[in-house]
Amino acid sequence: MKPRTLRRAVVVAGAALVVRRALRRRVKESPLWPLPALEEPVSGRPRARALKLLVTGHERIADGVVQLRLEGHQLPAWQPGAHLDLVLPSGLVRQYSLCGDPEDSSSYTVATRLVPAGEGGRGGSREVHEQLAEGAEVEVRGPRNRFPLDPAAPAYLFVAGGIGITPVLPMLRAAEARGADWKLLYGGRTRASMPFLEDVRKLAGDRVTVVAEDEDGRPDLGAALADTAPGTAVYCCGPEGLMAAVEEALPEGRTLHLERFAPRGPSDGDRPFEVELRRSGKVVPVPGGTTVLAAVRAELPSVMYSCEQGFCGTCQQRVLEGEIDHRDELLTDAERADSMLICVSRARGDRLTLDL
Amino acid sequence: MSNTRVTLKARQVSFAWDKTPLHWLPDDPFATHTINVLHLLLPAGERWFVHVYKQVLPYIRDDRLREDVIGFIGQEAMHSQAHDEVLPHLKEQGLDPTPYTAQVDWFFEKLLGDRTLPPGKAREWWLMERVALIAAIEHYTAFLGDWVLNADELDRRGADPTMLDLLRWHGAEEVEHRSVAFELFQHVDGSYRRRVRTWATAFTALVFLWQRGARFFMENDPTLLDGKASFKDFYRGGKRGVLPSTGAMVRSIPRYLSRSYHPEQEGDTEQAVAYLASSPAASAAEARESARQGVAR
Repeated sequence: MKPRTLRRAVVVAGAALVVRRALRRRVKESPLWPLPALEEPVSGRPRARALKLLVTGHERIADGVVQLRLEGHQLPAWQPGAHLDLVLPSGLVRQYSLCGDPEDSSSYTVATRLVPAGEGGRGGSREVHEQLAEGAEVEVRGPRNRFPLDPAAPAYLFVAGGIGITPVLPMLRAAEARGADWKLLYGGRTRASMPFLEDVRKLAGDRVTVVAEDEDGRPDLGAALADTAPGTAVYCCGPEGLMAAVEEALPEGRTLHLERFAPRGPSDGDRPFEVELRRSGKVVPVPGGTTVLAAVRAELPSVMYSCEQGFCGTCQQRVLEGEIDHRDELLTDAERADSMLICVSRARGDRLTLDL
Repeated sequence: MSNTRVTLKARQVSFAWDKTPLHWLPDDPFATHTINVLHLLLPAGERWFVHVYKQVLPYIRDDRLREDVIGFIGQEAMHSQAHDEVLPHLKEQGLDPTPYTAQVDWFFEKLLGDRTLPPGKAREWWLMERVALIAAIEHYTAFLGDWVLNADELDRRGADPTMLDLLRWHGAEEVEHRSVAFELFQHVDGSYRRRVRTWATAFTALVFLWQRGARFFMENDPTLLDGKASFKDFYRGGKRGVLPSTGAMVRSIPRYLSRSYHPEQEGDTEQAVAYLASSPAASAAEARESARQGVAR
């Protein structure tokens, strides 16, 4: 070997050794050197997490109403008005409002009314009543809150119909703890079918008006609403007819918050509407049996989608105007405020405006 | 036939982690954490796949390939979500992955992100480069998927069933859709030089990120006093069958670089489909889907 080549080899090997030592020292000082990090990390903050909870209570609390206690540990916190997704043994996913104590981090409480098939029941409540016995395990996702209590309102009127009392009950307790000015109008078919009647009476005293249809007829919504002071926040949960009536009788200056037990089947509420594509300057009709995705794809074939069932999130689009009927099982409450999954979700009103 | 074409569709899986221990492969923290690196890389990585593929869709002029890519996107989106849900569970067990995942986020969102490029040639070049990178990475995801479907040693050593189901559901879908990324690359570009160049980049990046992730976990594991990760441990894990073997990994390199390479030659679709039919998570997803369609009817 020529001395020059040898000398070069020694120099290169020496340099390599020095670099290696320097790198090792640097990495030892700070193991994650030298990559920068994203300031607002994205990973590790999943939208929802699945939990397997144990059914430790299954109790009939009114005619046709069962209350479940689901136990776990260090459960995610929730606020009054929140609901939970229950993944039932058959694979059906159903939403139930949390009606227990938000401070309790070791269990969730939900109550469900058995909806017979003749009344439009689709099997979810029957499964809860018959299969989720004590000792069973059930998968839940959430909680999420589409029906949050506005802490700043000067006064509250709660209107609950039957099982619609479930999201309202924790609200009453929160309002009471805060010393707020509130009233409750609680209606149902019969007294025996109204859950939590005793709890409500104890809590509310003379601030509750209980109206059982078989004894007192329909509640006088007009009078209850007219009796509220301007600025009152009205919270209503119950059958569709009750909510429509409250909406109609609402006096000027009151804010209305509704909790719908959103039907998921296209048979219910699958009305036609139209979608405006703001950036393309087009308006497309969405007939009853068609999805927003299909209607938009006719105009814009390159619009993205994949699962077409509302879980993969690929078709998420920004909504500029219009009220959304969310039917997916994925988006967070924050995302729902201004975006939708166009493969399953629809409009509440007659028109949606998308940023497309 | 073991490699018939299947229609790709995303499955709505869901995993509850409450009962999975930190060392889900009992008494083997190194193998556990080496495999755990997947949870660090995949949430950001597969999100990036989806992001890139959304842009390449208009370039596809073959209807069947477009359908495959659409199915692929949904599957990748679900993989990303499923692995992302493991991270808070690690954090609760005292092993906070955020310092590392924030870097992986930067890696995929910034370094490999859209960049401010003039429209036209430069932008298209960068898009094709990324499409080729994904094809190279998918060679390895299919390799790992095939490995985990056959890693019986993990069962013998009592690995946590939920974690195994996550890995095998994911692995089976990777095997199921293993041809899509390569066929897409061949369809929109297909340059051999680009294939070699992007393979070298992807392989280097994977090795770099993986060894670093394993060291990060070993050093920060609250139950280990002096956790270290070394290549020797990896080699031994491969010998025992709890990790992919070094030899098999080396042998997979010339296969991808061969001019006659096609992902169909790797893995076994039938095995993947059979696993998906028996997987608890995939079966539950199936039940959810038929329950939903029952409602729609």
